[in-house]
Amino acid sequence: MPPTTREEIPQGTLDLLILKTLERLGERHGFEIANAIQACSKDVLHVEEGSLYPALQRMMLKGWLSAEWGKTAENRRARYYRLTRDGRKQLIRELARYGRVSEAIGRVLQPA
Amino acid sequence: MLTLLRRFEFLFNRRRYLDDLEAEMHLHRELRAELLARQGIAPDDATLAANRQFGNTTLLKEDSHRVLTWNLLEDLFKDLRYSLRSLFANPLFAVIAVLTLALGIGANTAIFSVINAVLLRGLPVAKPEQLVYLHVEPGQPDGAGQTGNNSNASFSEYVFEQLRTQHQAFSTVAAYVPLGFNKIAVRVGPLPEEASVEMVSGDFFSGLGAGATCGRTLSLADEKNHAAIAVLGYGFWNRRFGAACSVVGKTVYVKGIPFAIVGVGAHGFSGVEPSPTDIWIPLQINPALNAWGNQQTNYYADPLWWCLPLIGRLAPGVTIQQAQASLASAFQRAAYEHLGGKPKPGETPVKLVLVPARGIGQGGDDYKQPLYYLSAIVAVILAIACGNVAMLMAARNSARQREFSIRLAIGGSQSRLFRQLLAESLVLAASGAILGWFFAMAFTKVLAGWAGMEANLAPDRTVTLFTGAIMILVALLFGLAPLLTVRRVPVGLALKDSSATAFQEKTRSRSSRLIVVAQVALGLVLAISAGLLTRSLGNLERANLGLKSDGLLVFGLSPQLGTVNDQKKIAFYTSVINKLRAIPGVLSVTLMGNRIGSGWSNNTTTILDGKRPEGEKAGMRWNSVGADFFTTLGVPLREGRDFRDSDSLAAPKVAIVNETFVKRFLKGRDAIGHIVSYTPEVAFTIVGVVADSKYRGVREDPIPMAYFPYPQVGLIGDMHVELRTAGSPPSFLPEVRKAIASLAPDLALLQPMSQSAQFAASITQDVLVSRLAQFFSALAILLVASGLYGTLAYSVSRRTSEFGVRMAIGCERPELLWMVLREGLMLSLLGIVVGAPAAFAFSKYLDSQLFGLAPHDPLTFGLAVVGVLSVCIAAGLIPAFRAASIDPIRALRYE
Repeated sequence: MPPTTREEIPQGTLDLLILKTLERLGERHGFEIANAIQACSKDVLHVEEGSLYPALQRMMLKGWLSAEWGKTAENRRARYYRLTRDGRKQLIRELARYGRVSEAIGRVLQPA
Repeated sequence: MLTLLRRFEFLFNRRRYLDDLEAEMHLHRELRAELLARQGIAPDDATLAANRQFGNTTLLKEDSHRVLTWNLLEDLFKDLRYSLRSLFANPLFAVIAVLTLALGIGANTAIFSVINAVLLRGLPVAKPEQLVYLHVEPGQPDGAGQTGNNSNASFSEYVFEQLRTQHQAFSTVAAYVPLGFNKIAVRVGPLPEEASVEMVSGDFFSGLGAGATCGRTLSLADEKNHAAIAVLGYGFWNRRFGAACSVVGKTVYVKGIPFAIVGVGAHGFSGVEPSPTDIWIPLQINPALNAWGNQQTNYYADPLWWCLPLIGRLAPGVTIQQAQASLASAFQRAAYEHLGGKPKPGETPVKLVLVPARGIGQGGDDYKQPLYYLSAIVAVILAIACGNVAMLMAARNSARQREFSIRLAIGGSQSRLFRQLLAESLVLAASGAILGWFFAMAFTKVLAGWAGMEANLAPDRTVTLFTGAIMILVALLFGLAPLLTVRRVPVGLALKDSSATAFQEKTRSRSSRLIVVAQVALGLVLAISAGLLTRSLGNLERANLGLKSDGLLVFGLSPQLGTVNDQKKIAFYTSVINKLRAIPGVLSVTLMGNRIGSGWSNNTTTILDGKRPEGEKAGMRWNSVGADFFTTLGVPLREGRDFRDSDSLAAPKVAIVNETFVKRFLKGRDAIGHIVSYTPEVAFTIVGVVADSKYRGVREDPIPMAYFPYPQVGLIGDMHVELRTAGSPPSFLPEVRKAIASLAPDLALLQPMSQSAQFAASITQDVLVSRLAQFFSALAILLVASGLYGTLAYSVSRRTSEFGVRMAIGCERPELLWMVLREGLMLSLLGIVVGAPAAFAFSKYLDSQLFGLAPHDPLTFGLAVVGVLSVCIAAGLIPAFRAASIDPIRALRYE
């Protein structure tokens, strides 16, 4: 059964989640990426599924992802996304930024 | 950078990307639905739930799409719509701006389409860029004779035959040569008429890729047989036969010899020279149909007579340089074949030079200078017009600063604002270009009629591209101005009182003052150049011709077959003269080989008393003329006598020279009794001295001249008849025609006109250029005045409250008037101070166009300065009066 609360992904972190998922899993198509994000976050983070696609297009355009059409296990045509070198660099940057931001937020929320 | 490339890639493969996206999203929904179904949800519900979870597909697709493109079109469309709305909100501004731009762009388009037609455009045939005229540099080889319009453009028949075998360079070399320097007599049906007839090689049409409208063109076999067939030019056929193909099969008599009409040339094709050809026939071997109407041996029989103009089509892929290099040795061999095989000692070996066939071809060079001058003028006009519109826009934008400020304050981006202003300039420039295009079309039509130009001036693709380029340039020019305005807008301005704009106002008006000064300077330069040309034209029109041209009628005669030897021709011309003398009202009649005022002349090195005169300048011009020549023309006789009927073939050879001849070669000694000639073989005794008179045209400086009786010169060809009439010359034409027809029914009067008209024709180009210069300078000054007026009017309207205060504290109205006027006067004077030296520097380029006038003519400069200054004062008076008539009470309430 799904958990009682599902959280929308915070603004601006979708890119980070996609990058990280692809880094971990290698080549994946859109549906698998959405499911993976949900599964890894123990179903807490909920990708608004459609919004994944504009994000994927944008990241392709920036050169972080490359995509190729292939067949799924059930022999269906699907577009598989993969990280590029620029994508890995971007992931490192985003992680660093995320680290700084969450640290800062943590400090604000837990006053010494 | 790569992102940009990927965007372009997307734009080009748009369809595929959208399909991919669609497929991907579809798969996602299907997989989700299957997953849900496996979790136990009914299939229909699962599909619905999957769709719900996915979100609004259309919206998402649009989002993805937007990521990939720039929303460019949509935003552009919005910008354009908004620009139109804001321009319509202020229609007066829009109308003035568009009209100003249309004048500037229209003038440039018009002049450019003339330049295009005269200097740039290829011939209206297939692949015109491959066509070249053949020239020989530095001239024909020593020992060869030459005839032609352009001394470098003629080749011997022998050299032509050698060149046309050079297929590594040319796919075709075609020869074309007229049957006379002017039109000649032809006849279809009972009445003779004049037409320009060209003999061409058999591959002239096929080589040029010019087809036939009816019937056929000529073939190599026709050339080989010298076939008696003719192809009519489209224009001639259209004009003369009402475009009826039934003319094919009829007979045209060329100089009395019958030719069967076999076809009509292609629409728009009128030969390869500027003046259209009416009839083409194959190259002829008959001496009566010789090149240029010459009376010597036919060009087929004389390998040393260079008389055939040639046009070539370069072989595919061959450049002019390659062709010249590969032809060099073969050409030299052919050129010296009949001259001992090699150049004479000291002679520069001849060289073949290929000239791209563009515009109206070899005649285009004459127009180059005036056209460049006119294009400089219209460029200046465009600059002035742009200045005006830029000032208008700046004024309008500064009035809209509050609007901009609000838009920025509520979150509009600067780039968006800037783009929107750019869109406004683009809309203005495009409207101006469209309107200007129509101006240009009307203008070129008038111009073509006015100039009697035969070149087709209708704009083509090149002209369209040119206008488009100007439009974009203009739009960008304005685009930069608002960028500055927008960058300077402080967000807080919206909340402040308008007096806070004072600072911006100052910088804005400073730049607009700079523009006004530059405009006045440019306007003055144009006014001065137009003034110089106008005064020069006046000098030309009043120039002393040295003869009484009023009452003189002139026409040409081209003697027919059957009068081949000189004696018969003399007899013919004598009977012509006697017939004409008998017409009531004809006071006297004479003949001349070269028509005076037509530009044609004989030039040679003078032979005086058996030798070349000493000094550097030994050249003279000469003419073969009939009896009573000077009496008829009204040239004063200084000494001795005029030619008489008795100066016949058998009589002692005599000559008459002019005063310049006596001054230069005889140092003022008595000329009578000296011996003069143009060739060592014949000697003429000087029996008279006449005053100088114009020979080639009005512009001519006095030159040494010798006149010889035409029967004694021999080789008699076409002659021009000059009649002194008691009355208006054209009214004698019917009688004259009747008289000539009674002697020779096939003989047409060639170019009949009054002698004054002939001289006027020699300055047509001067008339045209100076009228255009006047027109454009007037336009420029008008634009300058309106710019100055606009600046002052705007400044007065911005300073209404200031003037109100001044008046309230006791400033008199005349003082206010003077205040505003002084500003205008200062700007104008500054402009004049800048413009006068510029004009001084520029006017020397006009020197070659000026007649009887120095390029730094102080009177012209003075008049132009006074003229420009008075126009500027007039433009300043209106706002000055408005400032002086401000009601102080209302002015203080103004803001």
